[in-house]
Amino acid sequence: MPPVEVEPRDLEAMTAVLTVSGVAVRFGGVAALSDANLLVREGTVTGLIGPNGAGKTTLFNVISGLQVPDRGSVSLYDTDITRMRPHRRARLGLARTFQRLELFGTLSAGENVQVGLESSVKWWQWRHMKKAFPWVRSGRSAADGQRSDEPTGPGSLAVVTSDRLLEGVGLGGMSADQASAMPTGLARMVELARALAMAPKVLLLDEPGSGLDDAEAQALGELLTTLARGGMGVLLVEHDMELVMRICDYIYVLDFGDVIAAGTPEEIRKDPVVQAAYLGAVTDEEAARDARSLDDGAPDAAGQGPDEAVHG
Amino acid sequence: MSDFLQFTVFGVMLGAGYAIAATGLVVTYTTSGVFNFAQGAVGMIAAFGYWELVSAHHQPTLVALLIILILGASIAGAFVERVLMRRLHGASAERPVMVTLGLMVILTGVASVVWSPTVQRTVEPMVNGQFRLVGINIQYQYVLIIGVAVAVAIGLRALFHSTRTGYALRAVVDDPELLAMSGVSPNRMSQYGWILGFFMAALSGVLLAPTQTTGISIEAMTLLVVSGYAAAIVGRLKNIPVTFAAAIAIGLAENYILNYVEPHLSSQLQTDVTSALPMVFLFIALVTLPSVRLRAVGRLTSMRAPRVASGKESLIAGGAFMVVAVVVAVVFANTEFNGITLLDLGGLVMCLGMVGLSLVLLTGYSGQVSLCQFSFMGIGAFVMGKMAGGGSVLGLLAATAVCAGLGALVALPTIRLSDLYLALATFAFADAVATGFFADGRIYGAGGLQIGRIVLPHLSFGGDKAEFLLVTVFFVLSALLVLAIRRSLFGRRLVAVNDSPAAYATVGLNIGFTKVAVFAIAAGMAGLAGALYGTVQNVVGTSDFDIFPGIIFVLFVTIWSIRTVSGAFLAAVTYVVLNQVWPSSIGIFAGIGIILIGRAANGILGIEALHVRLPWAKGGGSTASEPTPAFTELALGGEGSRAAG
Repeated sequence: MPPVEVEPRDLEAMTAVLTVSGVAVRFGGVAALSDANLLVREGTVTGLIGPNGAGKTTLFNVISGLQVPDRGSVSLYDTDITRMRPHRRARLGLARTFQRLELFGTLSAGENVQVGLESSVKWWQWRHMKKAFPWVRSGRSAADGQRSDEPTGPGSLAVVTSDRLLEGVGLGGMSADQASAMPTGLARMVELARALAMAPKVLLLDEPGSGLDDAEAQALGELLTTLARGGMGVLLVEHDMELVMRICDYIYVLDFGDVIAAGTPEEIRKDPVVQAAYLGAVTDEEAARDARSLDDGAPDAAGQGPDEAVHG
Repeated sequence: MSDFLQFTVFGVMLGAGYAIAATGLVVTYTTSGVFNFAQGAVGMIAAFGYWELVSAHHQPTLVALLIILILGASIAGAFVERVLMRRLHGASAERPVMVTLGLMVILTGVASVVWSPTVQRTVEPMVNGQFRLVGINIQYQYVLIIGVAVAVAIGLRALFHSTRTGYALRAVVDDPELLAMSGVSPNRMSQYGWILGFFMAALSGVLLAPTQTTGISIEAMTLLVVSGYAAAIVGRLKNIPVTFAAAIAIGLAENYILNYVEPHLSSQLQTDVTSALPMVFLFIALVTLPSVRLRAVGRLTSMRAPRVASGKESLIAGGAFMVVAVVVAVVFANTEFNGITLLDLGGLVMCLGMVGLSLVLLTGYSGQVSLCQFSFMGIGAFVMGKMAGGGSVLGLLAATAVCAGLGALVALPTIRLSDLYLALATFAFADAVATGFFADGRIYGAGGLQIGRIVLPHLSFGGDKAEFLLVTVFFVLSALLVLAIRRSLFGRRLVAVNDSPAAYATVGLNIGFTKVAVFAIAAGMAGLAGALYGTVQNVVGTSDFDIFPGIIFVLFVTIWSIRTVSGAFLAAVTYVVLNQVWPSSIGIFAGIGIILIGRAANGILGIEALHVRLPWAKGGGSTASEPTPAFTELALGGEGSRAAG
């Protein structure tokens, strides 16, 4: 896949696909989110950054329906999905990956993707069920060189398509590997392929870059940019600042459950509030050094990359 | 008025007994994440042990209590945690449930060997006498039970909320690694939890034993805590004060119904209501429980699932199996074993094998535990016997349909909750059906329910050979169906919903619908097996479909392999053979087997050393190389890029 250059674009002209308004979540006495507001536009990569415990994953859970907010609303285009069950949101075009892997571990990588591909198929219809019975003559298949309505079975559209999706995320030829036996970085790509199999309108990615080496992270960035340029809205939680600054069109910074800053990568880079809160800088000298680190995403003199700085 | 007060005092006493058992369950669950199905059996052993020491060997009450509660229960709790439960860390979710069920059948099996069920044993109250208060007689034993329950509740509250050990006990399930980093051993905390749980189980057993006016029985004492289960569920398995209050409320409700409602019912209905009450409470508790939030747990299933046979392989194996069955039918037509023809035993194996297949589908693939497949068998046999005079093909269809519908009804209240609650609901359902339905003399009749062999126009399966081959055909077809389901997209969904419910929902799939659907299919299959079982046996009786044989069979399937068709068949063979040879010890075999198999997810058949690759077995499915839409078109949802909806 050729590298894709990120060009400045008129974000205001793009349609909002996901809108989060005034979301608050409390766990007992702890406010995980106080008043979170966020907008993801079609055709953009939106970054969501913040220190550990800032509430990023909680916000993902609210958006995807795994956590009902105490207050606030979530909309997909004009549809209010705040109280909608997770599977219904997914059917409307919302897909996500997880910070801690949530793969179907006993299935192969290919089958993981197939479950996503076939999520709208009604299994109880005979035309789908009969594929499981070897003595029932099946209809056309992808192997016949035609588009098939039959989703299952060797050579079927689902198998071929899942292979193609896996190839697209760099896992060509690994379709038969058991998902739970794969290294973390590759397993994350299986999760991504499974999410993409749903052809989502909005893709929520929770730290997809963790476990990837530099080349893989580079390829991931290009992939996400390509998807966004194709019209998908991508919301990215990521600790790899170099990746975030390179591919995001817009960035939100979350701290203690509040959005403390929002803007283009350039604006976020220069925001002193972000530098202080996010990097914990306490002196002008440290702030300047941290800003440099945030600026280029390169390891500083002590060998501490921004990734480590965030984790710390 | 005095009657009401009398009933109230007895109800509070009964509830207090339940409360002790229920809080024991909560303590064990809170500290280990395991619901101890053996809680009632531990109380039963304690009650019989107490009777043995006090009534048979005339030991002083305090000495007996010391031996049973301190030496017996506490050491047993520590032993169970150390030897049985600790090594299950990382095992599949259903395994701890199976091991506690194994413990339950071992304890009931040992009890029936040591204490013959035919002898009546009455336990004297620990404190004799009574006093009069506001016009009613109150026995000191009641006061003792209520006092002990209150002391236990206060003591536990203080332990969990005021001591460092208590905080550690509460923390151990949430994050054992984090607890270990703070210098506290998670294993030790879990062990304390099991010791406390066993202690309270035994305490409730010895306190409630004297209230059993007709004497203590193994089954009644073991199942006495089902009402305690309901209380623990109301307390969401974590809230001790709520559990305590719920137990008292259940005790009161039970006693009021027994004294105010039952006298107006016929004598047979009285027995049915009494038997079904704990199940009704448990169902009400399950229905009123708030939904469990779907969580992303980040626990990746690392189990390697057994290879699924391809369609061609299944057909070859099914054909070979039928050939062997025909040879067996011809060669062993007149052979008997224990006074029963080998073909009749073979027929039973096939029927139970079908029940095993229903468990492969339900537990092996989708991870849901059902303890009531024998109940569906019994209901299937009942429908078969009542439909068109028995022996009708219509009966087979009706048995399948009725059980599938009932299965959906049993599963529906629990789909919002975790799989443990389904196991509990099926446990209660099995208990209620066995004691409140099958035991009713009007259901099967005094001599059992007659079910003729299947007759089709111009074709009768009256002979042993024909009958054996007929049920074998049904078994083979069921096996092919189960394998076909696993190969289908529905099969992938069953495995997926088990591996990660959170991911399952976020790819747009409805967890509840999938779970209810598979439960209904499995129940229908068990119902069909029951109908066929009836045709093999000719007569079915009240004790054929009891709760304990059903649980023992589930254990045998798990021991062999609950994820394979072969496992279901071998479990059926094992069950039928052992039931002929050592019927009274079959539970002990099953319990020891499940303990020995430990965390091996795929049972005996999953042991690598036993694997033989068949010459015709192929590798994974092939993939076509035909052109498909480009990756970006697929991901971005280009026209017609997805599998058909």
